[in-house]
This record gives sequence, structure tokens and C-alpha cells, in this order.
Amino acid sequence: MDQPELGRFEAILLPHLDAAYTLARYLTDNVDDARDVVQDAYLRALKYFESFRGTDAAAGRPWLLAIVRNAAFSRRKRYRIESKLAEFDEQLHSESVEDLHPEAELLGAVARESLHQALDQLPLEFREVIVLRELEGLSYKEIGEVTNVPLGTVMSRLSRARERLQRALGRAEEKLT
Amino acid sequence: MTPHDMRLQVDAYLDGELAAQDARELEQHLKECSECSSVRDARAALSTAIQRELPAFTAPEELRSQLRETLRSAKKSPAAGRRIAPPVWRWGALAAGVMLVALGGWELGSRRAADSALTGQVLASHIRSLMPGHLTDVVSSDQHTVKPWFNGKLDFSPPVSDFAGKGYPLIGGRLDYLGGRPVAVLVYQRRRHLINVYLWPSAGGPGGERSPVTRQGYHLLHWNSGSYVYWLASDLGLTELTQFAGLLRGGDSAAPQYRP
Repeated sequence: MDQPELGRFEAILLPHLDAAYTLARYLTDNVDDARDVVQDAYLRALKYFESFRGTDAAAGRPWLLAIVRNAAFSRRKRYRIESKLAEFDEQLHSESVEDLHPEAELLGAVARESLHQALDQLPLEFREVIVLRELEGLSYKEIGEVTNVPLGTVMSRLSRARERLQRALGRAEEKLT
Repeated sequence: MTPHDMRLQVDAYLDGELAAQDARELEQHLKECSECSSVRDARAALSTAIQRELPAFTAPEELRSQLRETLRSAKKSPAAGRRIAPPVWRWGALAAGVMLVALGGWELGSRRAADSALTGQVLASHIRSLMPGHLTDVVSSDQHTVKPWFNGKLDFSPPVSDFAGKGYPLIGGRLDYLGGRPVAVLVYQRRRHLINVYLWPSAGGPGGERSPVTRQGYHLLHWNSGSYVYWLASDLGLTELTQFAGLLRGGDSAAPQYRP
């Protein structure tokens, strides 16, 4: 990469370091992993910068976040991080909350969760749309680019993710009062 | 409209993603429908709670400076930006038919083909070493213990340095067999990541440096210092692995003073 091209790379992608780090923090389990993911992502971005079609820093944001997201996902896959999350199943996880068995709502652990814990327990595919929308401020179209799903899926996941968080928040407040 | 569709509309409205006409219609509906307006209020409250409770992070200064360093080194060696095997996640895209990328990479393929057998061996050895009980034959963080251990087991005495001070402690060594000869393997650790360093005496002069290769999630680095052929294998991030390679090169040039 020649000097002007590298200058362009820095101008377009370095302003998004905090955004990249924030997404990595929410998609990995700890600070070390988040740092590794961000470093890998910037290196990958450098290698593939030729394929970047945008002209300004604003266009670089979803492009970089897509790479961060892929780096985080492939890292999880590599380490087979099962954690407490089941494999994401669009159909299964999209069942409306009302359909859940009432007993499930009574499980003590669920009732104690704060918003943060609730976010942690969302399937990654739900968690990422919340982070991309609420913390990174991406448009639906940009979220679709980052997560590589159609607009309708973005809208559906975002709405269902919010519904789940809202329930968790409601439970937390109930407990406080 | 199902309850889900209704919430979806309200979400899109609050996110400013509804077309003007749809937004006007929804606003009208919200005035009339208490169910929908309570959804709107709950969503607004959620959004406030998220802004309040979920932090957006600031990248640590250390990460920032490491990245700047990486970019500076890319500036110095122009090839580093281009010559790299596609990482694993990209292979899907290749298979899906991004032939231009494949063809572009092909030009670089010929020289790599010669090394690919060795690359496979290094990778296999690295993965094998991660299985229980296979990592080290001699466990020591003391370079003066590890180095003599190789005496009589190899026809050379490998340079051994501990980089604990730099955050890459030496944890041991072992023997392996690569490219038809016995080689020394030094094992280092960075946080929870293990790094296998393979080395044997170089037949030719220095050179033969290659861009990092990523296979099955592991990074492989290779260079020839003139005295030794080096291969590194690790799941550590490339930035740090490259830094570590820099430390090793420094250690190698200082190698004669450790020779018995």
C-alpha cells in the first residue's frame, strides 16, 4: 500500500476505532478478546482496503464494523464458545414472547437480570442489532450491510430484541418497587 | 396487523426509518390507539435506559498506539499490505464466486506452493502440540535451562531468549520433526495464547520472508534470518504476533553471546 492510500485508510477508518472497540466488547467475552478482534479487524481491513468502494469516513463505518463483526464471530466459532447461548435459530428465537410458557417467566434467575445481563443473554444475532442501532447509531440499511441480512430481518430482529430487553427491564423495575 | 408487526412499525417510526407518509399515518393511529401508544412509550423508555446503562466504550490508548505502529510498519514494507492469504472467513466469499480475488491471489501462488507442504506440517504440529501433554518436553521459563536441554538432541544449539519482561514469557521447549529434519520448538505464552516457535539452521542466506498466513484460525509467520529458518504458529492476534516476531529477530542477532 502506497503512502497516499495508507493516508486514506487512516483518515477513513481510524476515526471508527472506538466504535469498533465498542462492538467488539459486546460481541466477545472479555477485554483481551475484544482487543484481539479489533486488531485482527484493522489488519483485515488493511488487506482488503482496495475493495472498499466508499469515499468518506461515514461510509467506512459500516464497512469496518462488518469486518469487526466477522472477526468476532469467527473467533467465537474458532474457540467454540458455546457459553450459555444456544445456537441461533431465526425461527425459534423469533417466537413471540407471549408464546413462552408462563413458568419460564418465574425462573428466579431471569427475574433478577438487569438490562446489561439481559443483553448478555440475548443470542448474538439479537445483541448485535441492539448495539449497532442504539450504541453505534447505524441505519437499518447499514445494519443489514454489517450483519449481512435483508432489511426485513434487521427490522424483525431489532424489534424482537427490544421486546426481550423491555421485558427484562420491566421485571427489574418490578423488583425495585 | 399482528402485535409483532405493530411493534415493528413503532420501532421503525422511532428509529426514523418510516417513509414520511407511513409515519404520518402511524402518528394518527397512535393518537387513537392506547395499546400502540403504550408500546411507543415503553420503547422510548427502553431506549433511554439503554443510553443510560449500556456504555459505549473508548478504545484503550495502548490499543490505539499498537494500531498506529502496525500501520507505520505497513508503510515501511509495502508488500505487507497486499501479500497475504485470505483469512478463513473470506474463503466462503471466494467459494461463492469472487473469482477476481482468487485470480489475483493466484499469481502469488507458485512460490507459496513450494512452502505449502511445510505450512501444513507446521500447522499440524502446532495443533498437535495444543493437545494435552504434547506441548513441551522441557518445562522452564529459564532460557539457561531450555537451551542446554537441546544439547545432544539436535545438531545445532538454538538461540533461546525469554521475553517475560515484554509480556511473552518462555514456558518451555520440545523437539519436533519438520521438512525431513529434527527441529527445535520454543514455546511462549501471551496471556492465554500459546506461541510455537520452530527453528532450524538455514541453508541459504537471509530472506524468504512471507506475509502471514491464516489457516484454520491460526496465524503462521515465516522468515529466514540467515542463521536460522523460523516458523511461528499461534492463535494470537496478528499485530502482537508480529511484534513478538520482532523480539525474536532481536534475540537471534544477539544469539552468539548465548552460545556455550
